[in-house]
Amino acid sequence: MMRPRIFTGALLGIALLAFQGRFRGFRGEVDNDDAPFPPDGNEKTEFVFARLRYPSVRFAWGFRGNWATDYWKADRQFVQGVRRLTRIHVRSVEQVVDLDSDEIYNWPWIYAVEVGHWDLTDAQCRRLRDYLLRGGFLMVDDFHGTWEWENFMASLSRVFPDRPVVDLDSQDPIFHVLYDLDERFQVPGIQYWYSGRLYEKDGIEPRWRAVYDDKGRVLVAICHNMDLGDAWEWADHPRYPEPYASLAYRIGINYIIYAMTH
Amino acid sequence: MFELLFKYPPAAFAKGQLVWLAPWPFAWAAAGLLLAAALLAGQIGRRAQRLPRPRRLVLWLLQAAFLALLLLVVRQPALSVTTLKPRQNIVAVLLDDSRSMAVRETEGRRIEQARDVLRNGLLDSLAARFQVRLYRFGDRLTRIEKLEEAAGQAQATHIGEALSALAAEAAGLPLGAVVLLSDGADTRGGVAREVLEQLRARRLPVHTLGFGRERFERDIELGRIELPARALPGDRLTALVTVRKNGYRGARARLAVREGGRTLASREIRLAAAEQTEWLTFAAGTAGAHRLEFVVEPLAGEENARNNALARLLQVEDLKPRLLYMEGEPRWEFKFIRRAVEDDPALRLVTILRTTENKLYRQGIADPKELEQGFPASAEELFAFRGLILGSVESGYFSAAQQELIRQFADRRGGGVLWLGGRRALAEGGWGRPPLADPLPTVLPAGKQTFHRDRARVRLSPAGGDSLICRLEEPPEANLERWRRLPALADYQEAGEPKPGAVVLAELETPEGRRLPLLITQNYGRGRTALFATGGSWRWQMLQELADQSHEIFWRQLLRWLVNGAPGQVSGSTPAPVLEDDSRVTLRAEVRDKAFLPLPDARVEARILGPEGLSETVELRPQAGEPGLFQSEWTAARPGAYSAEIAARRGEQEIGRDLVLFRREDGVAEDFRAEQNRELLRTLAEQTGGRYWRPAEAARLAREISYSEAGIGVRETLELWDMPFVFLLALTLRASEWLLRRKWGAV
Repeated sequence: MMRPRIFTGALLGIALLAFQGRFRGFRGEVDNDDAPFPPDGNEKTEFVFARLRYPSVRFAWGFRGNWATDYWKADRQFVQGVRRLTRIHVRSVEQVVDLDSDEIYNWPWIYAVEVGHWDLTDAQCRRLRDYLLRGGFLMVDDFHGTWEWENFMASLSRVFPDRPVVDLDSQDPIFHVLYDLDERFQVPGIQYWYSGRLYEKDGIEPRWRAVYDDKGRVLVAICHNMDLGDAWEWADHPRYPEPYASLAYRIGINYIIYAMTH
Repeated sequence: MFELLFKYPPAAFAKGQLVWLAPWPFAWAAAGLLLAAALLAGQIGRRAQRLPRPRRLVLWLLQAAFLALLLLVVRQPALSVTTLKPRQNIVAVLLDDSRSMAVRETEGRRIEQARDVLRNGLLDSLAARFQVRLYRFGDRLTRIEKLEEAAGQAQATHIGEALSALAAEAAGLPLGAVVLLSDGADTRGGVAREVLEQLRARRLPVHTLGFGRERFERDIELGRIELPARALPGDRLTALVTVRKNGYRGARARLAVREGGRTLASREIRLAAAEQTEWLTFAAGTAGAHRLEFVVEPLAGEENARNNALARLLQVEDLKPRLLYMEGEPRWEFKFIRRAVEDDPALRLVTILRTTENKLYRQGIADPKELEQGFPASAEELFAFRGLILGSVESGYFSAAQQELIRQFADRRGGGVLWLGGRRALAEGGWGRPPLADPLPTVLPAGKQTFHRDRARVRLSPAGGDSLICRLEEPPEANLERWRRLPALADYQEAGEPKPGAVVLAELETPEGRRLPLLITQNYGRGRTALFATGGSWRWQMLQELADQSHEIFWRQLLRWLVNGAPGQVSGSTPAPVLEDDSRVTLRAEVRDKAFLPLPDARVEARILGPEGLSETVELRPQAGEPGLFQSEWTAARPGAYSAEIAARRGEQEIGRDLVLFRREDGVAEDFRAEQNRELLRTLAEQTGGRYWRPAEAARLAREISYSEAGIGVRETLELWDMPFVFLLALTLRASEWLLRRKWGAV
């Protein structure tokens, strides 16, 4: 009985160290707090990239919540692409939203990053379920491997105890609403620079998954074992491969248009 | 009294011509009168100098009037009048045999009263002067020998048709006059003008004798019911019901609509006026024919409870009309409208969305080829839809031909067009220019910057409170409150001024407190158009409880309204789907090609199925001056439900089909408007030269009836100089003068 516990503990320690290293390594580049606020940042638009702020699993050492990973460069860089490639009227600046008030209902599309670390309260789970069933859409991204999946599901299963998570079929309209995305591949995070690995932790296989409603519409689009947020954020960097950035943009745009049509 | 004073009945004066029998001319009489008046004036001036001038004037006037009367008498006035030759003319006596004549009055049943009047002298007095023919009538005229053959059992009263039939039957006979005994409760509502003209042409007077009370003391009656003939499955419908009452002022009654004993809806009404219109909202139900019975539950002491219920036929069509929604940019309104109507079994929404500059995303299409080239460029393709929604898309996106098609979609095709507000919609999108400005229900503002992404609250207008489009809840008071509680719209657009004839159903209030029209509707050409000046009603869905259905109900009702009444290529109809004690049905069909242009050379047939296995085919004939309109009359011989499947063909090609349902219901009409319709009887008599009589006056009818120009007549001269009135007048003049002289001491 002792051996599995020791083994699990060791794995957890390695995973946390890896996570800590990644976060520490790129934190300064992500938080471009000195960048000027875009002149049209307060424009009233149809669509706003709403980033979900959620409580994270606590660890021995404190750090800011995982919700803000890639914030805000990924958001603003991605919406520039949405502006250029679609007819959606998009605000250049994101909106941070949470599940603690009814304000969330004003933002029918929300993006949550690193949900392998989220830890929603029961009240937040209820509000998220209500939000999604009323017509809201949630895209989750940038979480990897078994442990993060289980942690993600610990909260999601309280949001939808009765709805399974299923793999998205390539024929699903979400992959064809604008771009035909039959051919998809793993989109790595910025760790690809130094590691040369596409995957993180034990998340070797990229999985596009979803929770559907009773009418077959995607409520939650789950991007597991990939990091679209990093791809948006580093799309302008010469060392980040263009095919990954392109696919990340296409997936993100398809998800938005799907959310605005289904 | 009249005859006592004037020697002859009023009819003699009404129909006679005044003549003077004395040979000397009128000028001589006038000159003589002037001379005598002058002499009198001189004499009074000399002999009554003591009297003041006004009194002398009065005496002179009395004497002059007496002289004038004498001169008139000496000229021998007389009436020249045509009278029926005794024993050589026929008088037709028509006795109303309908069920309303069996209504019991204080003196007995109306039919019994009428028979008594005939028995107790009228028939004999007529027979003494004329040949009498006795008839009974209800829905048809029948000659009878005995009064007992009329028992008040006919299911309808068709006075006009009875008179017409009589005129035709007696075409070669010396028919001198008609005596019609009835309560006037004509179930066709009156006598046709053609019948009156026919009678007038023959100078045939109709003398009417009225029976029955002119109003019941305590009665409630259903009148007109306004209800669409067709609906889609599950439609919410409002019937407007006219309720008439006598007595029961301020009482409360229950109005209900039932089908097969099941109550679909009911509400309590207050009986406030002699005639009032009440609404009743209910669900149309599933596809098929529905016989709906509208009822006011009888109150205690009602004299006639049989007129408290009326049946109407509702045809719920097994259709799923298709609407095309063209959206110029991805936006939340698009998604939430789609979701709102997704589960509506009676609507099918087909959408085209411009996702990028060069890409369109189609949803709800029947096959991958449909709308492959985008918005339809031909009438055939566009007019296959029954409704059209135009979202945030600039008018310049459409070619000139497509713009004209959009206009004609409502005007010629008879479909419904709805414009939504948006960043590129309405004035922002250049929709205020011809030809698209014409079908819009408002005159759009001239400038731009009319679209605002600011929240706006909404409220119903009075018209919106009555409209089914906006009915989220019953009763109407609760509905108004529910609209007030709706979350604010995410955005709004200035829609401009509503055009004459357009109706504002809902208004919005801007953050600055301005009130602007939000939902405006109007009829346009053969169709209808509407404008919903926002793209932000999605907040009604996101900002309300999950169980709240406001958003879904509103959009389903708005889109159902949009397609309701949009015809197919073959559109059948009948003016009265319920034939109440009537057998004649008019079947009509409008036939158009795929571009909805009239098809006058089609061949149109109706296959009628009816009770007891009846199956008959009737050809509908083209109507002159109305291309594409076909019509035919048919007789429903038996009571029951009928269906007419109207099919139009052109050569070997079938153009389309439509189903028309109707019912014949007997034993209904006589229960309504069962009071004596004196106005109808009086008008009928006056229009034909006869007279309306009360039963008590019947004894004089036979004599007066003689003054008729119909039949075989003889010219008579009736002297007037010896009328008692003349002597009475002469005496009055002389006596007045004598009394005044005595009083004034001038004897």
